[in-house]
Formats: sequence, structure tokens, C-alpha cells
Amino acid sequence: MADSGVLERLVAQVGWQIRRRRAEFYGLRGLFFGALLGLVPLLLKTAVGSAAPLIALGLALVGALAGALRGIGLPLPPLDAARLADRALALQDRVATALEWAGRPDRSPLVDLLVADVTARLEGVDGRGVVPRRWPRELKWLPLPAVLLVVLALAPSIPLPTGRLPVFSTSEDSETPEERAGKILTDERPKAAKREPLQRAEILERNLSARGGATGGSQPGDLAALFKDTALAAQRPDFQSFLKKGDERLRMLEQVDRLPDLKRDFTQSQYKMIFQKRKELFGGLRADQISPQKLRELMEEMERMGRKGGSWGGDIGEGMEALESGQTDRALEAMERALSKMRAMEERGRGGRGLRGGREERGRGGRGADRGAGGGDMEADFGEGEGLLPGKGRNPTPKGDPTDRLRANPFDAGVEGESRSGRKEGYETNLLGKGTSVPSRLQYLGVFGQYRKMMEEAMAREQVPRDYQSQVKEYFESLEERR
Amino acid sequence: MGNAGRVGEFVEAFGNLKAEVGKIIVGYDEVVTDVLVGLFAGGHILLEGVPGLGKTLLIKTLAAGLDLSFSRIQFTPDLMPADIIGTNIILEDADGRRHFQFQKGPIFGHILLADEVNRATPKTQSALLEGMQEGSVTVSGISHPLPSPFFVLATQNPIEMEGTYPLPEAQLDRFLFKLRVTYPALEELNEIIDRTTRSRETEVRRVMRGPEVLRFRELVREVPLAAHVRELASLIVMATHPQWEQAPEATRRFVRYGSSPRGAQALVLGGKVRALAQGRYNVSVEDLKAVARAALRHRIILNFEGEAEGVDVDGLIGDVLDQAEAASRRGKEVFLQ
Repeated sequence: MADSGVLERLVAQVGWQIRRRRAEFYGLRGLFFGALLGLVPLLLKTAVGSAAPLIALGLALVGALAGALRGIGLPLPPLDAARLADRALALQDRVATALEWAGRPDRSPLVDLLVADVTARLEGVDGRGVVPRRWPRELKWLPLPAVLLVVLALAPSIPLPTGRLPVFSTSEDSETPEERAGKILTDERPKAAKREPLQRAEILERNLSARGGATGGSQPGDLAALFKDTALAAQRPDFQSFLKKGDERLRMLEQVDRLPDLKRDFTQSQYKMIFQKRKELFGGLRADQISPQKLRELMEEMERMGRKGGSWGGDIGEGMEALESGQTDRALEAMERALSKMRAMEERGRGGRGLRGGREERGRGGRGADRGAGGGDMEADFGEGEGLLPGKGRNPTPKGDPTDRLRANPFDAGVEGESRSGRKEGYETNLLGKGTSVPSRLQYLGVFGQYRKMMEEAMAREQVPRDYQSQVKEYFESLEERR
Repeated sequence: MGNAGRVGEFVEAFGNLKAEVGKIIVGYDEVVTDVLVGLFAGGHILLEGVPGLGKTLLIKTLAAGLDLSFSRIQFTPDLMPADIIGTNIILEDADGRRHFQFQKGPIFGHILLADEVNRATPKTQSALLEGMQEGSVTVSGISHPLPSPFFVLATQNPIEMEGTYPLPEAQLDRFLFKLRVTYPALEELNEIIDRTTRSRETEVRRVMRGPEVLRFRELVREVPLAAHVRELASLIVMATHPQWEQAPEATRRFVRYGSSPRGAQALVLGGKVRALAQGRYNVSVEDLKAVARAALRHRIILNFEGEAEGVDVDGLIGDVLDQAEAASRRGKEVFLQ
């Protein structure tokens, strides 16, 4: 019986090489993942402190060590090592076969010959270098975490996120409504003005006060919300509502004619100044408590402004007469009427005119031009939200203008589709008598594959005699060629 | 004689027989080797090739090199089973009593050349089945053993399909190998002309007898087979089955039926003979690969798509071998693959 000691020594030698290569392989892989893990303490350097680089380095080394240990500790069946030796030494599975059969009780006499043959072949063979070195896939990416480790270790610490949403409101939002209202008059910066419907001064005042508040959602059409939403900051951080409000703003931005004229300073308008002075004059007082002198000064100022083209001169004159006669109530009523007219005139002035896509723009071209000059005159007298939309205002065509006919021929009721121009071909299905020479419309190409599949199945089930199979195949091949 | 001597004797006998065949047959080294492998593995060989390539001559030469009885049957459509197996005839003895006596057919020989086997009807072809598998034939309920060794070498023509009866799968499976005889190369053709047009024919010596063949067949079966080589043989056979989940794409698409377990037996036995013929005492993965095409090409039944596309079974077996090797490595650790 041949001695298999040489075989076992070779297998042990190869096994040790495999473990060493495995240690390198898995060590590098562990180093990669350890380096990746080491980035975490460096990113959290603020929280971890100055020990972060050491921890990162330690994690990388621990990863490499763990990988190497795993590589050494992986199971290694001797037969697999023998196969590897066979492959490396071109022994045609001699070592593996001999090692497997050497200890078997049912070994044939040829096994002894095999062991002797392998032993003889292994004489003088150097078992080193049998196992080639392999590199893990992660090796080519290893420089990346390594460089990041160095960079992050040298870089200053990254501030930690606070976990709160950014503050949308400015410091002005915390001001009281009274402060904000007073600031409108004194603020020199141009600001967007809100379009208000034509209404009485008291209603306007209430709306202004409401806007200064910090609560309440922005309404569609509230143009100030485009630039500053004071309600958002007070709400809980809800991203969906944030997105929803953003969508509303985008929709409003599409309504170009409703955008304010940002070039104008509405805070310095005459109406605003008069309105503020009136507000200061009243100051919550009753009509009989108001100073006649100050009321006269205010009305005189309104009269001066009316001389430049205003239509409230008559009202002011009537108010002055009532004031002279000591009828303060009548004077106040006249002043309110004048104030309303003043506001209406200003509304017309800032009604989107001059803006691109605004009312005047449409009036100059397109359908507005077809309508003639009459339409433009009428439009000039329209109030807020009137005149353009169907069913609103004094537009003579409340349902809007009709669209042009598709074709000049009134009898052509056909509508062109998008597939192609011209009339579609029709099919007569109620044919009587002899058939016409309409070509076959059978979906030949569609059913060919189906029939061919049926034929293949019939062949597979051997329903077609073997001698006829070639003819059937040739028939289908000829059909295939015609396609 | 020791074991080493037995192996040496086999290697020498194998070489001698091959050399004797080589005196007549030019080229076809691989075909001749595979025929000898089939002989010592105890299987039967089906040779396929167009007429005139020397298939019959190869077999006749082999029979001449072996000290064994040789029968040749030319298969024709009117050949009957009794023409192969034999039949009972009525004989009259000296007392005037008549009795049946079995008259042996040409199948009762050591080496049987079934020339153009696909020209006979399936019924006649089936007459060979029992003899090839069991080594005996049964006539009128009486079993008659065939001489041992019994070695069938059949030929068939792949292009003349008119009036032929392709062998049924059951009978194809009983052939250990199916060998393809291809056209000789230019140099080989020149050599064929020289040898066959000379005035004197070359003599073939008888270098082996029947008992030696049987002894070598026993020796072949003693060759050890490693577990991983055996597993690869199984994987190769499994990869020919389209139902196997790891079968290659070509198998799934073009194969109707894969190899039977006889295919795995043919792989291993062929590998053993090949290893021993090279003086090696174990079967290697290379041995399996070397005999895979001969052992499997007639056991893989293509589906209609495969036949219509003209798929080459040998190429498909190449895919099968690759897939089987990949499957044997799958799941193993990176250094053990």
C-alpha cells in the first residue's frame, strides 16, 4: 500500500496558502467596509469630539482584522484544496482522486497505483505559489473612503442639523398690527399692494388689519402671499401643506394680469395718505367729537387733489358747506363719498394696465381688436372683476365670443381626426349579390405565428406521422419565406 | 501479473490495435480512438457519415485486428427480424421424427456490423434491441445467449432520408457512442489514394483475442472516479434537460428530451477507458469533456424549433459542458471555485 503522506503534506501546504490568500482577500474587503464605517464618526465630529479620527482609524483597522480572521477561519475541505492543487499543477484530478480513495475500504487495486503515481509526480514539485492571489471587487473603490477619511479628519467639524424647518417669517411678522399699519405710510421701500374689491373704507380697514395678523391661511388671490406667508411659520412643519401652498402660488403666478405693478409705490398713493390721515383724525371718536378744524384741513387737501382731475370736487364742496353750517355728520358723509371715488379712480389706475398680458395688452391685439373700440371703452368703466368673464359685468356677450367655424363649408359636418387628413375610408357591410373586388383583409401576419405554434405542438405530440413532418416543416418554411 | 502490469498490457494492446486499424484507415484518429473506447467500455457504436468515407472499412479492419467472429448485415427494407436473429426450422431425425431446431442468425457473432441500419423497418431494427442490451435473444420463448464479447457497430447515412426509418430513441439510447465520420483532410485524402490504389493490400495482424477484451473491460471498471468528477457527469446530463432550472438557454429553447442516465454511464465509462488508455489511473474532468459529444449527441432530442433552426447538437453540448462546470462551481467560496 502506497504512502499517502506526501499527498497530505501537499494538501496541507496548499490549504495554508489558501488561508493566507483568503486573509488578504477578506482583509482588504473588511478594510473597505471599515473605512466606510469610519466616515460616520468623522461626519459627527462635532458630537464625537477630538477622538473622531482615532475612532475612524480604529474602525478601519478592526474591519481589516475581522476580514482577515474570517478568511483564515473559513472552512476548507481537504478535497477542495486537493482539486486546487490538481488544477495548479496540471495533475488531471490525480491528487483529489487519490486523496478521496486512499482511505476507502472499497478501494480498487488501481488506487494504490494511483497514489504511487501521484507521489512520484509530486517528488520535487514546489507546492508554493499554487494558489493565485485574488483581489476583491471593493479594492478599486478603497481609495475613495481612504481619501475621505483623511479629508474629513483634517477638515473642520460639520455643524449638526437642528432638526427644525427654516423660519419663513421675518422679524417684521412679529410686529403688532398697529405697528405694521403705521409703517405702511413711513416705509420707503416699494412693496406689493393688495388688490382690494371696491368697498367702503371701514371694510378696507378691517382687511388691512387682518392681513397684519400672524394666523389664518393665505387665500387664493391674496397676492401678498406670493412673497410672504406669515401663516406658514406659525403652523406645524407639514411638508404636504407647504407643497400645497407652493402650488397655489404657482397658479397665481400664471395669472399675469392680476400681478401687481411692482414699479409703482402704492404706499405713497394719494388715497392711502388721505385714508391714513382720516384714520388718525377719527381715532375711534364719534362724529361730534371730531375736531372741525382738522376735518376742514383734510377736506381742503382732498379738494386740492381733486383739482388735478378727480371727480370728487362736488362732494368735497358739499362737505365744506355742511361743515360751515355745523353739520358734521353731513360733512363726514360727503367726505366718505369723495374718499370712495378717490379709491375707485386709483383702482382703475392700477388695474393691471401696462403689464404684459394684462387687459390693455389683450385689448390691443387678438380678439379684443376684432371687437372694436367700443369694447375698450366699455371695459374702462368696468369695476373690479367685471366685464371680461362670461356672465359678469356689462359685456354685451355674456357667454363669451363664439369660436370660428372649422370650415367655410356649412354642410361639411365631418371633423378631422389627428390620424390623417381627409375623409376616412368606409366599409360597406351590407353587400348583396356578387362580391366586389375588395382585397382580403385577413390578418395573415397575425395568425401565421399562431398556426405555426399549433403545428409545432402537433409535431411535439407526434400527431403528425414522422414521414410527413418534413413536408409540413417545408410548407411552413415556404410561408416564412413569403413573409 | 501485478496491477501495473495489467495496466501496461492494456495500454500496449490499445496502442497496437489502433496501429493496426491505422494501417488501413487514414486519419480519423479520434473516431478510431472512440471506437476502441466503446469496445473496451462494453458498449455499441453508431457511426454516421455520408457514403464512401470508410465507415464499413473501419469496422472490418477492427474486426480483422481482433481474433473474434465477425458478421455483417446489410440492412434493407425487406429485411426481417428472423434474418438477423435466426429462426426455428423443422428437422427430421434418423427415426423419421420431426422437430424444431433453432438456426442461429448472423447476430450470433462477436462483432456485428449493421450496415445502413436505418434502412430496415423498425420491427427489424428492434430485433437488435434485446441483443444489444441483454446480450441474448429470445426465440419461441427460449433465450439464446450471444457470444461474449458482443460488439455492435452500426452505420447510417444522414443525408439519404428517402425510404429510411430513423432509429427510434429507445434504440439510439442503447448505443454507447454516436460518432460522426467527416470528410478527410487534403493530406489524408492523398494518403487514401496512395494506399488504396496500390497493387498489394496491407495485411492486418490479429493483436487481441476475445478473453483479453473481456479482461480489459473488467480492468476499466476498476479505475477510481473522484466525487467531483462524478458530480460533473451528473450535472452534464442534467444540463441537457430543458426542465432543469440551471439548464443553459440553448437547452431550454431547442431541446425536447435530454439524455437518459445511460448518458451519464457512457460519460464515466468512456472517461475511464480514455484515462486508462493514456496510462492514467483516474478519471479526470478532461476525460468527461473529451467523450461528452460522442456520448450525448444521440441522446439529445431536439424540438421542432431546434430542427427548423438547424441547431448543431455538438455546439449545444458545448454550452451544456460550460453550464455544468459553472453549476459545479456555483455556491463555492471564491478560492475554491
